[in-house]
Amino acid sequence: MIIRQRNSRWIGRIPLCPLSMLFVSLLLLVSLSAVGCKRTPSTVAVIARTSGTALWEPEHAGAAAEARSVGLNLYWNVPMRDHDTQAQISLIEKSVDRGMAGIIVSPIESLPMRTPIRQVLARGVPVVVIDTELGIPTGPKLSCVLNDEIVGGQIAARRIGLILEGKGNIAIVGIGPQLQSNTVRERSFETTLSHEFPEIHVVARRLGLASVPEEQHIAEELLAGSQSLGAIAALSLASTRGTYYALVEFDKVRTIKLVGFDQDLIPPLRDGGIDSVVVQNTFEMGRIAMELMNREIHGTAGSSQVNVEPVLMTRENVDSAEIRKILNLSWWYPQ
Amino acid sequence: MSPLIAKRTIAVALPSVVVLLLLAIGAIAYQSITSHGPTQRKIVSLDKQEDWQAFGGTWQYADDVMSNISDERGAKLMTGPEHWANYSVEADVLLLGQYGDAGLIIRASDEEQGVDAYHGYMAGLRDLDNTLMMGRADYGWREYAAQSVFPHVSAQQWYHLKFLAFDCDFAVSATAQNGPTTTIAIRDPGCIKSGRFGLKSYNTGAQWRNVEIAPATQRDLASMIGNIQPQLAVPRELPTGSEPAPHDRYLEPIERDLQAHSSGVNAKSIGSLRLLSPDVPSSATVQGVVTLTSPMLYIQDSTGGLAVSSSHPHAPLQIGDEAEVRGDVYLHDFSSEIRNADIHLLWSHTPVSPVAVTASQAATGAFDGQYVEVQGRLAEKNEDGNGTGMLTLEDESQSFLAVVNGLGRSPNLNSLKVKSKLRLRGICVTDSRYTHDLTAFALLLPSSGDIEVLEGPPWWSPDHIVELVIRIFLLPFAGMTGFFFVERWRIQAVLDERQRLAHEMHDTLAQSFAGLGFQLQAVRDDLTDGIDIMPQLEQAQDMVRNSHEEARRSISALRPEHLESVGLLSALEECARRMVSTNSSVKIKTASSGNIQNIPLRVSDTLLRIGQEAIANAIRHAHCSQLTITLDYEKSAVEMIVEDDGVGFAVSSDSAGFGIRGMHKRAENITAQFRIDSVPGQGTAVRVLAPLPPSFLRTQSHRWLTRLQLRKIHGKRNRV
Repeated sequence: MIIRQRNSRWIGRIPLCPLSMLFVSLLLLVSLSAVGCKRTPSTVAVIARTSGTALWEPEHAGAAAEARSVGLNLYWNVPMRDHDTQAQISLIEKSVDRGMAGIIVSPIESLPMRTPIRQVLARGVPVVVIDTELGIPTGPKLSCVLNDEIVGGQIAARRIGLILEGKGNIAIVGIGPQLQSNTVRERSFETTLSHEFPEIHVVARRLGLASVPEEQHIAEELLAGSQSLGAIAALSLASTRGTYYALVEFDKVRTIKLVGFDQDLIPPLRDGGIDSVVVQNTFEMGRIAMELMNREIHGTAGSSQVNVEPVLMTRENVDSAEIRKILNLSWWYPQ
Repeated sequence: MSPLIAKRTIAVALPSVVVLLLLAIGAIAYQSITSHGPTQRKIVSLDKQEDWQAFGGTWQYADDVMSNISDERGAKLMTGPEHWANYSVEADVLLLGQYGDAGLIIRASDEEQGVDAYHGYMAGLRDLDNTLMMGRADYGWREYAAQSVFPHVSAQQWYHLKFLAFDCDFAVSATAQNGPTTTIAIRDPGCIKSGRFGLKSYNTGAQWRNVEIAPATQRDLASMIGNIQPQLAVPRELPTGSEPAPHDRYLEPIERDLQAHSSGVNAKSIGSLRLLSPDVPSSATVQGVVTLTSPMLYIQDSTGGLAVSSSHPHAPLQIGDEAEVRGDVYLHDFSSEIRNADIHLLWSHTPVSPVAVTASQAATGAFDGQYVEVQGRLAEKNEDGNGTGMLTLEDESQSFLAVVNGLGRSPNLNSLKVKSKLRLRGICVTDSRYTHDLTAFALLLPSSGDIEVLEGPPWWSPDHIVELVIRIFLLPFAGMTGFFFVERWRIQAVLDERQRLAHEMHDTLAQSFAGLGFQLQAVRDDLTDGIDIMPQLEQAQDMVRNSHEEARRSISALRPEHLESVGLLSALEECARRMVSTNSSVKIKTASSGNIQNIPLRVSDTLLRIGQEAIANAIRHAHCSQLTITLDYEKSAVEMIVEDDGVGFAVSSDSAGFGIRGMHKRAENITAQFRIDSVPGQGTAVRVLAPLPPSFLRTQSHRWLTRLQLRKIHGKRNRV
C-alpha cells in the first residue's frame, strides 16, 4: 500500500509539460510510420547521351524492361544539349549524391569521363559503362557493355566491298578521336577494307564534328572536290545524316553510296538515299547493363565486359522482327 | 492512481490532444479548400521572376514577353502550387527557330534539369511535322496524340494555346492568328492528379505572353472539345520508329533541313580584324556563332569574338546560331565591333563552350568578346531601375563587373550573398559602357542561370560572431537555470515523500507508541507495591517515552511545510525546546544577524537537519546549561551556529561518530563549510556556512515553491 502510493506520488511529481507530451506523441507517430513503411526498391540511374532518338531511346526501353523484371527502379535523364559532357558529368554526380544504387552511363566523350567515374567508384557505387571504353581497366564495381566495334567495322567494310563490287574510291567521314569506340570502329573498317578489298582505295578522310550542319558542310566540301567517289563511309550518326543531306543537295544519292553507322533516319533507307546503316543493338545493351547492375547490387557479380554485336540494316530487312526489336522505343511497356 | 494525479494528467494531456486535433482539422480544411485549383481566372505575372523556377534554358523577360533564347532540349520554367488539380492554362506561344517544339506544361512535379525530367503533361506545337501534340513525361516521354495544324506550324508566328486538365481528361487547343483551331483530347486512366504548370521548349527558343490560368470544370472541358471524344491515352511511336510511314511525311522535314545558306567565301577571322587599319574605314565579313543576343549581339569564332549592331531587320537569332555578318568594322582600344551589319543566319545548334580563365587572364583583354567562365568572390550587388543586376566581384588582385541583363529581380540574384564564391559564364568585354572604366573587364551574362554558387560566404562574419558570443553565454545560463529547476522539482518530490512518511508515521508509529505508553502506565497503576517488575516497567516506559520523542522529532524533521511556515530559526528553537525535558534547566537562546534573506528550501532543510543533530548531541552529551542557536545572514551566504556551554570534547577524526559524519555529508551536499569547534570543558560550537544562490533566483524559486506549497495546503483543506 505504502509503496503503491509512493510510486503514484512520485509520478505525480514529474513535470507534465504539454510540449514534452507533444514531442513524445510526434516521436511515436514517426516511429510507427517508419515501422509501417515499406522498403522501397533500389534505384539505378541511367544517364544516356541523348534521348528521343532511334539510337538511344531503345537503350531506355531495354534498361526499363530489365529493371521491371528484377524489381529495380530506374531514373533516366540525359543532358539538355547534345555533346554536353559537363552536363552529363553533373547528372552523374547528382545521382550519386541522391543515393542511387548504381550508375549506367553512355559517355559522350571517353577522356573527360575517366576521373568522374573513378570518383563514383571510390564512393562504392557500381558503374556500368555502355558503348565506349573509358581507357581505365574494368575492376570491382566497373563493368562495360560495348558495341562490338570491330565487328561493326568489318560489317561496314564488307558492305562497301559488296556494293562497289570490290573496286573503287571511297571517303571516310566522321572520324572522331573523342570516343574510343569511334577509333576502334574506324581502324577495324580500314583494316578489313585493306585486307579483303585491296582495290578499294580510301581517297579522303574527314574528322567528325559535333553537329549535323557542320557535318553537312564538311561533306559538301568533299563532294565539291575533284575526286570521284563510289561510296562514303560515315562513321557516326551526325556524319551519316549530314552526308546524306549533302548528297541530296548535290543530287548524288544515286551515284554515291552511303554506308553509315548508328541508326537515325529510317525513310532514306527505304528509298535508297542511304544504302545501309550498321545499327547498334542498344536495346540489348541497355538490358544487359541493367542485368549486370542488378547482380552488382546484390553482390553476386564481379566486373565484366560484354560485347554486343551490331547488325546491318538495309532496305530489305528494315521491317524484320530483329530490326523492330532493336528499334523498340517503348520504354513504358513491359517487354 | 490518486484523483489528484488523474486530474493533473487530464489537465495537461487534454490541451495537447485538442491542439493536435485542431492542427489536423486545419490541415484537412486547407487541403480541401486549395486542392482543386485556382479560384478564379487570372493573368499570370511574368515579370515576378521570384515566382518562377527555371530548369535549363536562358530565360529573359521584356515587354510582357517571356523568352527562352536557348535551344536546349527540355528547358522549363515552372510556377504554381503542386496541389492544383483541375485547371487550365493558356498563353500565346511563338517558336523562335525550327525543328523543335514549344508549349505548356500542366500537373507537373519533381522537375529537374533534363530533357523529360519531370512528371506531368506537356502540350505544344512542333514544326518538324506541323503538329499540335500532347503527351506525358515521367523522366521519359510518351506522346499520346498529335494532330496536324493547318496550314502548318511556322516559326516566328504567334499561336494561342490552351491546355486544360479535368479529372483524368486533358484537352489542348491551338489557334493561329486568323486561323482555324486545332484541338486534341485524351483520357489517361492512371493520370497524375495534380501539379503545377509551366512553359517548355525543346530544341528551339520560344516566347510566351498573355499567360492565364483558370479553374476548370466538366462544362469547361465540354465547351473546349465540343463533339470530340477524348481518346484513350496510348503512347505513339516516335517518327523515327521502324513502322512504315507515308513517304512524304518523313521526307519533308528532312528536306527542310537542307535549306543551305552558302557561306561567304571572303569571310575573315574575327581575330584578324585587329590588323585592319584604324584610320581607313573598312568593311568585313565574318562568320561566327552567336554567344549573346542581349543587351548586345556577340558572335565568336575560333580566333575571337566581337559585338555586332545592326539596324537592318533580320531573323531573330538565338544563342548557338551560326551567322554570317557583313558590315563596317570599328576598332576600339581593346575590342572590335561591326556596325550597320547585314546578318545572315547559316544554321543553328552549334553552341560554344566557355573557356575557363582566371580574372587576371581576362583582365589582359585577350578574351574580349569571347564566351568565358570566371570565378570570383561577390563584393557587391546592385540593381538599376530597369531591373538589370550588376555584380561586383573580386579575385585575387582583380575586380570585375558582371551584368545580369533584365534579371535584377531574379530570385537567383536575390539569393546571392556577399562574399560568396561564384562561377560565372558570360561574354568578356572591355567596353567602357559596361566596365565604366572602373575595371579591366566586365562579364555580360546571358541569364541568371549562368551564375553558380561555389561557396557561401565565410561563416565568421560580425553577425555570426555576435550570435556565437550570445549563445556561449546564454546556453550555459539556460542550462544552469534548467538544471536549477529540475533540481528544485527533484527536491520537492523528495520533500513531499518525506511529508507523506511523516504523516504515516504520525498516524501509525507515534500513535502506537503513545498507546503503548498508556498501556504500560495502566499496568503499572494496577500493579501493587512490592512486586519487583516495577524497575522493568519504568524502564519500558522510559524507552517508550524516548522512542515516542524520537518519532516526533523524526516526524518534525520530515515536514518541510513546517519549516516553510515558521522559518529556520524558529524551527530549530522548537526542536530544541521539544528535546529539552520540562524539568530541565537548559536555556534555549536564538539570535540572527544581518539582513534576513530567503534561504532556498534545499539549504534550509539541510541546515535544519544538521541543526537538529547538533542540538540533540548538545542535549544528550554536553550536559549544558545554555544552548544558543544563531543564524548570521551575509550577502551570499548564511552561517548557522549551534553552541553550547557544556563539557566539550577533543575534536579529531576518531571522535567523528555517525552523527557527525552525517552532518558533514549533508553540508557537502549543499557545498557548505562544516566545522566543529570544541575544547574539553569549554563547550562546543557547530558551525555551518552555506552559500546562497543569486538573490533573484532565490526569489523566483521561493515564490514558485511557496505557491506550490500553498496549493497543496489548500487542496488538503478542501478535501477535508
